Amino acid sequence: MSDRVDDHPGSGGPSSDHDLEAIRAARGVAGPVQRKGIGPVAWFDVRRRGAGHLAFSLNRITGLGLVFYLYLHLAVLSMLLGGASSWSSFLRVATLPAFLGLDVLLIFGLLVHGLNGLRVALVGSGYAPDRQKALYWSLMVFGGILLLGAAIHIVGSA
Amino acid sequence: MEVPRAAGREEAAAGSRSTTWRWTALSGVALLVLVTVHMLANHLVVEQVGGLRTYRQVLEYIGNPVIFVIESLFLIVVTAHAMLGLRSVLLDFGLSPATKHVLDRGLVALGVITVAYGVVLIGVLASRA
Repeated sequence: MSDRVDDHPGSGGPSSDHDLEAIRAARGVAGPVQRKGIGPVAWFDVRRRGAGHLAFSLNRITGLGLVFYLYLHLAVLSMLLGGASSWSSFLRVATLPAFLGLDVLLIFGLLVHGLNGLRVALVGSGYAPDRQKALYWSLMVFGGILLLGAAIHIVGSA
Repeated sequence: MEVPRAAGREEAAAGSRSTTWRWTALSGVALLVLVTVHMLANHLVVEQVGGLRTYRQVLEYIGNPVIFVIESLFLIVVTAHAMLGLRSVLLDFGLSPATKHVLDRGLVALGVITVAYGVVLIGVLASRA
């Protein structure tokens, strides 16, 4: 997990301060490297990558998903401005089983992003810098248990 | 002692990155606390208004002063964290300093508009309760 520069303060992003040519050259090198690609393409490049890459990519993808949800949530709340009828028609869709599945997906995103973010903050701040992998997997197991509980609750309340 | 200009620029950039990282981490930790408070308050207040299904129940929920403050604070922190995160993702593309400057301004503007719209929205809905 120590191969991720983004887990540490002082990093503004994988390619913000490095020579892109060096990044391209690093793509062909075997073993853990700081990065092998530029931008989101690298998130899905799982060749010769470990848990650190998975954590980094999941954090980026869930983060973007949550930003999308923020604006979706504002749009949904804006329906309240249209009065009771507007809200009721939305509720008819929102209580469909397929929609409840999206709730589980949202909780998955929140748990992965939140718990992995907590790990990044702890490690980057100097707490448990040598316990990255243990911290990551224990938080993900904890998140998995919470997700299971939440999914059962959501499905049960449908 | 005079610091070489290039070295000075690098130090300034590193300092800026470090500050951004700290704000991202700080807002992230604040969000974990706010999400917990949000869920607890949500649970208690939703029970008070008898659920969160009908139009009237949602308005009564948002009209609660404690919920209004928590939701507004939540919106401010989540928007700040989202903009910092978006910036970090967009910097993955290796932007030039000039583009980075435009990006920073654009994200600040987007964040301010988002918070302003959200707070006005919550305020209008709370006033209908």
